[in-house]
Amino acid sequence: MLEEALEHLVKGIVEHPDDVRVRARRIRSGRVLEVRVHPDDLGKVIGRSGRTAKALRTVISALAGGKYVRVDLLDLDEAR
Amino acid sequence: MTEAEASPVTERDSVEEERAIPDVAALEQEGEIAADYVEGLLDIADLDGDIDMDVEGDRAVVSVVGIEGDELVGKRGEVLEALQELTRLAVHRQTGERSRLMLDIAGYRERRRSELTKLGTEVAEEVKRSGSSKPLQPMTPFERKIVHDAVAASGLRSESEGEEPNRYVVVLPA
Repeated sequence: MLEEALEHLVKGIVEHPDDVRVRARRIRSGRVLEVRVHPDDLGKVIGRSGRTAKALRTVISALAGGKYVRVDLLDLDEAR
Repeated sequence: MTEAEASPVTERDSVEEERAIPDVAALEQEGEIAADYVEGLLDIADLDGDIDMDVEGDRAVVSVVGIEGDELVGKRGEVLEALQELTRLAVHRQTGERSRLMLDIAGYRERRRSELTKLGTEVAEEVKRSGSSKPLQPMTPFERKIVHDAVAASGLRSESEGEEPNRYVVVLPA
């Protein structure tokens, strides 16, 4: 559900919604949601001083029942 | 060493004052876009709730009513503020205009409004009696605006000091 919620939130605010990809990864300390967007949209999902990224994390953590969920924002071409 | 004169930033929160005549059709369109965005999230999260849309003065208001729990409001309304911010961006993406839309969830803002109006009125009376200024707790811009209005209605002035997110209202004596 969290991946889907995050995808919805991000798709609504970018210029290239079809390029939004969300993937959940397990890491030792928990879970990471990795969001990839079109390179032109990366600034938009981060926002001024990281404001938009913070808003996304706040809403997702709330939906996770207040548990911290790491949300990474990357552009589509970034390797990982 | 003499201490530099304290000159805190005391510009009044001119939070959204000047604006031209509201374009109701445009505000209704903002409400529609916002409602779709929020409703989509409720569906995904499997949260029940209905969405009310309204235009209050020069801004669109979207309220989620009949929702269980306050997870989307959060401590001091922080989740609500975050979701409002995202919703405004979603509106901006589609209209190309900056949105001042207000999102409310489970009547949180209405409740805060009456609590803070009461607080502002009471503190104004206290400052009138004591003659000395009184700082309040840090608040969001939305909350400070309500307090400023209540203080002004009591005939005193107030200012905001400090930096976000710890910006707070100071009520000044006459």
